[in-house]
Amino acid sequence: MVTSIVIVGVGGQGVMTLARWLGRAAVAAGYDVKIAEVHGLSQRGGSVEVHVRIGERVYAPVVSEGDADYVVAMEAIEALRAFRYLKEEALFVVNKRIIQVPGKYVDPEQVYRALAVHKGLRLVPAFELALKIGDPIYENSVLLGYVAKLLRLDGFVDWLDEKNLRAFEEGRRLASAL
Amino acid sequence: MKHLLLGNEAIAYGALSAGVAVAAGYPGTPSSEIIETLLEFKDRKVYWASNEKTAVELAYGAALAGARALAAMKHVGLNVAADPFHSAAYTGVVGGLLIVTADDPHMWSSQNEQDTRWYGLQSYIPVLEPSEPQEAFKMAKDGLALSESLEHPVLLRSTTRVSHVRAPVVVEPPAPPKFGKFSRDVERYVLVPQNARRRRADVLRKWELLKDFSARFMSVEGEGDVTVVASGVGYLYAVEALERLGVKARIVKIGMSVPLSKKVVDVVTDEVVVVEEGDPVVETQLRVMGIKTKGKIDGFFPQSGELSLRAVVEGLSKALGLGVKLADPAKPTLQPPPRPPYLCPGCPHMGTFYALKLAGAGQKVVWSGDIGCYTLGINTGQQDLATHMGSSIGLGMGIALSDREKLVVATIGDSTFYHAALPQLIDLKTKKIPLVLVVMDNEYTAMTGGQPSPSRAVPAERLMEAIGIKHYVIDPVDVKRSVEVAKRAIAEAKSGEPVALISRRPCVLEALRAARRSGFKPPKYYVVSDRCRSCGICYNLLKCYAITKLPDGKAWIDPSLCNGCSMCAQVCPYDAIKPAEPDKVSKWLELWSQA
Repeated sequence: MVTSIVIVGVGGQGVMTLARWLGRAAVAAGYDVKIAEVHGLSQRGGSVEVHVRIGERVYAPVVSEGDADYVVAMEAIEALRAFRYLKEEALFVVNKRIIQVPGKYVDPEQVYRALAVHKGLRLVPAFELALKIGDPIYENSVLLGYVAKLLRLDGFVDWLDEKNLRAFEEGRRLASAL
Repeated sequence: MKHLLLGNEAIAYGALSAGVAVAAGYPGTPSSEIIETLLEFKDRKVYWASNEKTAVELAYGAALAGARALAAMKHVGLNVAADPFHSAAYTGVVGGLLIVTADDPHMWSSQNEQDTRWYGLQSYIPVLEPSEPQEAFKMAKDGLALSESLEHPVLLRSTTRVSHVRAPVVVEPPAPPKFGKFSRDVERYVLVPQNARRRRADVLRKWELLKDFSARFMSVEGEGDVTVVASGVGYLYAVEALERLGVKARIVKIGMSVPLSKKVVDVVTDEVVVVEEGDPVVETQLRVMGIKTKGKIDGFFPQSGELSLRAVVEGLSKALGLGVKLADPAKPTLQPPPRPPYLCPGCPHMGTFYALKLAGAGQKVVWSGDIGCYTLGINTGQQDLATHMGSSIGLGMGIALSDREKLVVATIGDSTFYHAALPQLIDLKTKKIPLVLVVMDNEYTAMTGGQPSPSRAVPAERLMEAIGIKHYVIDPVDVKRSVEVAKRAIAEAKSGEPVALISRRPCVLEALRAARRSGFKPPKYYVVSDRCRSCGICYNLLKCYAITKLPDGKAWIDPSLCNGCSMCAQVCPYDAIKPAEPDKVSKWLELWSQA
């Protein structure tokens, strides 16, 4: 059994870091892992997509459309773009946050409504929590905590610093409340 | 102990465990992490070279002198290095020479989709093709040893899904670097025609040997009525796709895809399905051997872009007549607007393009672009062509000569300038071709992650002085002066002489990293809503992606994206953009200029 996770966001948000952290925990738990980094043009502000596959033995490095067990979006417009990866029964974890595309303003409520078409949608206030902790950069730790709880992965506490750990715990707490 | 390594890191560790002593490369996605990893090892000679040709030459020379050496680049880089690459096959080597290329199918960050395995066939250099990081480690290690034992260069061909995949890898510790001594052998190393002809015969003899040798990198797995031949990451997709389809098959895994082992004919049935990433290189060789194939040539698998599990499941299903059709993926009810890449907020190139746009307004300009972050000048309409490294000035000269009505403004980043524009600079001067050359010097190879560029050691103005090209230096964050100087440069070029504009300010991301380390936070800018008259100069002309156009046309700056460059405040005609912490402004600009 292989679990396929697609993580998306906007360049600069820490999408890659989130994927790497998940992979590290999976290896510590004894699994095989493949993390495929889809950089795009390697610049900030573009769509970023990383695929993580975890299992006893993982072959293909990239998740196919309609094949993801989890889609984790650090930004809601990018969540729409990742819609195509969702399996029908997939969990769709979306940071409640919009980073506008320059010159193409989209109404956030419209985005959230469109995402809710998928019944496994979980809107997570990761950005809001990160701001409370002191910096938007902690939003990926909130999401990490959330996803780690869903995947029943453990063992992050050793290497997360104090603030990231706080964000991580907030995420875990939110996921436990499901 | 298993480490979660990127394929590129695994390649570096493989080479280290083989005692690599000399390595050089030019950064390029998806290959850059190979040299970056090797640079950590101070007992080796590891360099970022000015371009791929000098990188290969450095490694080739070292291998001629008996060292174990590596050169790394992306696929298109091998075109730049193609000259020494082909000669290396003729002289052979004494130590080991491993040339690593990372191909980029689907062109995630490249100008073309090129399968470097053809270069193996063309140059008579064998090609190893790993499927995942663990294998990349092993093939880098074995490749160097193989090269030394055969006295012949070896090409290691990776693709994005090997180079940029992170997976658990068991690594062996680095072996001490193996340097060497050069022994004179004129008949072998001086490729005058008479010598080269003899060497050609040797190369062909060696190639026949390699066709036997290639079998060592071939393995057969599983049982079944169907035979699938797979190489590289294609192997991984094939295994998983067969599992999904519930098909029992024999899989012939090809590790050395060029030259293909003669022994393939011993293991294949009358027809095989071929799964490979890139062009039908394995498939073509199979057909030459008289084997019937179903692969890319007849369209069972897509000829462009990357393989995917989906494409391989569907291709196998078609090839095996299974009639499996996968369901269409879900579509959202709201189509997200595309998010094309933009220059980073505060990118100095943003200021340079803005100044050039204003200076060139009302004139017929051909924007001759190049390969790098600044290719994103396409967003402001300031990129009419960009085809390869050095194309800005190279093609720009040709355009200037044939279209006398338009003025060519050639924009090129510093790393690309040193990589591919110096001979053109000499042509520019000696042919007296009037164009404006803009060297966008951010002092880093920024697009690939901030590798050092030669611009500090060899400032562009020194080259201009030496060659005798009129030039100006500007700071793009000083918008007003930049516009004035750009206007002057354009006027002078129009009067018939080449003029260079060197626009210098370090990459803002590098400056931010340095600032973060020292605990300094750059000031953020905000829009005073009452003063904003929705003119759109900031978001339409500057195209900073931290600036959003609100539904009423007013501007809004996302504080989480603003990097405090001040350019929007300078271009706003209504004084509606202000720094939140005015006392920090000059300190930040100063710190930044020193990054």
